Amino acid sequence: MKKVLIIDDAAFMRMSIKMMLEKNGFEVVGEAEDGIEGVKKYKKLKPDIVTMDITMPTMTGLEALINIKEFDPQAKIVMVSAMGQENMVREAIMQGANTFIVKPFKEEHIVEILNKILAI
Amino acid sequence: MVKVSGRNTNEPMLDMFIFETSQLIEQLEQSILSSEKSSCYTPTAINEIFRIMHTIKGSSAMMIFNNISTLAHHIEDLFYFLREEKPNNIDCSTLSDLVLEGVDFIKIEMEKIKNGDEADGEVSQLIERIKGYLSILKRTNISTGPVKDPEKVDTKGQRYYISQDKAKTSIYANAFKAVIYFEEGCEMENIRAYTIIHNLKDITEQIFYMPEDIIDNDDSVEIIRREGFKVYIKTDYSYEEMHKFFMQAIFLKDLELIQLENVDELKQFSTVKEAVVQKNPIKVPSLHEPDKRKKEASDKEINSTSMHQSIISVSVPKLDKLMDLVGEMVIAEAMVIQNPDLKGLELDNFQKAARQLNKITSDIQDMVMSIRMVPLSTTFHKMHRIVRDMCKKLDKEVQLEIIGEETEVDKNIIEHISDPLMHLVRNAIDHGIESTEDREMRGKSPSGRITLEAKNAGSDVLIILKDDGKGLSREKILMKAREQGLLYRSEDDMSDKEVLNLILIPGFSTKDGISEFSGRGVGMDVVTRNIEAVGGSVSVDSILNNGTTITLKIPLTLAIIDGMNIRVGNSCYTLPTISIKESFRPKEGDIITDPDGNEMIMVRGQCYSILRLHEVYKIKNSSTSIFNGIIIMVEHDDKTLCIFADELLGQQQVVVKALPKYIQNFKKIKGLAGCTLLGDGSISLILDITGLINN
Repeated sequence: MKKVLIIDDAAFMRMSIKMMLEKNGFEVVGEAEDGIEGVKKYKKLKPDIVTMDITMPTMTGLEALINIKEFDPQAKIVMVSAMGQENMVREAIMQGANTFIVKPFKEEHIVEILNKILAI
Repeated sequence: MVKVSGRNTNEPMLDMFIFETSQLIEQLEQSILSSEKSSCYTPTAINEIFRIMHTIKGSSAMMIFNNISTLAHHIEDLFYFLREEKPNNIDCSTLSDLVLEGVDFIKIEMEKIKNGDEADGEVSQLIERIKGYLSILKRTNISTGPVKDPEKVDTKGQRYYISQDKAKTSIYANAFKAVIYFEEGCEMENIRAYTIIHNLKDITEQIFYMPEDIIDNDDSVEIIRREGFKVYIKTDYSYEEMHKFFMQAIFLKDLELIQLENVDELKQFSTVKEAVVQKNPIKVPSLHEPDKRKKEASDKEINSTSMHQSIISVSVPKLDKLMDLVGEMVIAEAMVIQNPDLKGLELDNFQKAARQLNKITSDIQDMVMSIRMVPLSTTFHKMHRIVRDMCKKLDKEVQLEIIGEETEVDKNIIEHISDPLMHLVRNAIDHGIESTEDREMRGKSPSGRITLEAKNAGSDVLIILKDDGKGLSREKILMKAREQGLLYRSEDDMSDKEVLNLILIPGFSTKDGISEFSGRGVGMDVVTRNIEAVGGSVSVDSILNNGTTITLKIPLTLAIIDGMNIRVGNSCYTLPTISIKESFRPKEGDIITDPDGNEMIMVRGQCYSILRLHEVYKIKNSSTSIFNGIIIMVEHDDKTLCIFADELLGQQQVVVKALPKYIQNFKKIKGLAGCTLLGDGSISLILDITGLINN
């Protein structure tokens, strides 16, 4: 089972993503509610893939992305964004995020994205 | 899909949504109120509000509560502007009003969602006003230039990855044209296109694409949706490799990949971009819904290895149920341990085991209680909003001070005290605190002060609301009470405290006019009724021109009390142990009978009236001679009463159950707080000390 780390400051989003993924055979090995915790957990848990919210307190998703990529250039990271964040998403792509998904999204979409990224 | 298919299937998600959004809304409200108080929105506050709105937007969009999501989106926009542009002419109070209105809207919608109704509130008008406010802000801040994303990096020069070195051009063997269509509703197609270009950089630097302004121009999204995203590249990769590359693109709906025969053709692209190469299509494979089989991998068992979850949310009905069960268990325990069959038996080992059981049940009970305990802070902080709104409307200045907000009370009780508290705060501002001029005339500080304090006092929690307003006038209260025929005793007999407590009687109102907030005469008695419903009491204290203090005394919990069982005739009653001061057999000389035939007893030089339970509840077969029974002295709110009963049966924890509805409806029986089951399965009535004393 592929291991997923969910980084999002909204408990609701963490729960949504977790439920969607677990239903589809992923193992959610960790959740973090801000970037700092997220980076820490990435180093500890070594997940196969990360879903990363962009807007978070203390450390944004963008900074966390850069941190994780420094630690592990091969890290697979999917940004979770909302409408109106085009610039930050683009920045994230430039910094090495694999792709992104825009809220609100459907279960089959996030599952498809993760599977695709994991297959690379 | 998250919702749509019906909310029942997503209960936990809906619960989480409600839970988190409510919390965020509260946090938001606090943030707005404290910002308004300091009459400026600090960058931290603006950022916080922005972030909260962003989260609410995302969550409610996931749950398809579109009106909430749209509203949150617009407030987010507004605060984005504030955050980035830092306009210096914000009218704090207008801004607060606007956002608070949004907060209220979301609150109302959340209420609907909680009740399982459709969140169908109309929000367009509010959104229009938010937009209007934002555009005014933008206009008046024109000097600072148009809104600009700070993240927006100049993208020129990143658009073409064409090597200037002509010699290099010929190195690449193959040229391709790809037309990419993304799945509908995947959003931000331009950024998706950008991702592809970004990834292509690893393969070649000779890339051309249409539309080319995928970042700066929002219309590019539309073009990509309509015509697809066209890419021309030169590379050494083979057709298969390129096909594989493009197939990895996320949300790919359709791909046309064409190998171009004439490599040189590419050179023209920089000049003739449009009319390109429809000729020489070699292979045109097309695909729909890529990787459908991957979806089959679903429906595996849900693995709930939530190793990192330290907090879970539990629905209140479940806790209520647990509480009920623990109550039943306490009864069952009593039924076993005090089983009549065991009477007279010597059972050492049984007693040992029973004591162990008893210890565990009481531990469980404490634990369940503590789970249900919530701090009062949320309830208290709601008052900030009320103070703010009232002050604005009534043009008064009031400071609210909160003490002891961390004090915890049973969740059910909190729900009962929120409204009364709100009412009391309104009363205090409307009736208590004087206008600024009046206060200055009296030599008080111009701004009034309200203190809301909570503290533990034994098994009760005291909530004290103190204001430094004009206080209550004894004469005025008496006058009003006389007018409304509420006086049942001679005025001179009544102590100040008794007079003050008149305001708690139904139908009493000293305020002549009726304002929007209070003074409809249905105030204080509703407060009293609500508080009494949870077994609490209200008392009033006031000094004229100095202020009023209202104290709510509420029990920590409702469900289980320590009780003393007493027997009267064949009936059993339970008294809350906490109210019992002492019990004794009276001596002959202590009994006094006054001319009206009321019995009193002299204890240590103090005279107390005696209440014979068998008389009150008309019980036969009980001892009528006061010297054969026992006197139990009970106390509540500094009032003392001596209850006469046949004998004490023993102490026991009892689970308070409400009297059945049909009895309550049939007749309001005075002095009964409820009933409970005893160990032997019989029913005992729980006496309401307050009711008995006031009778």
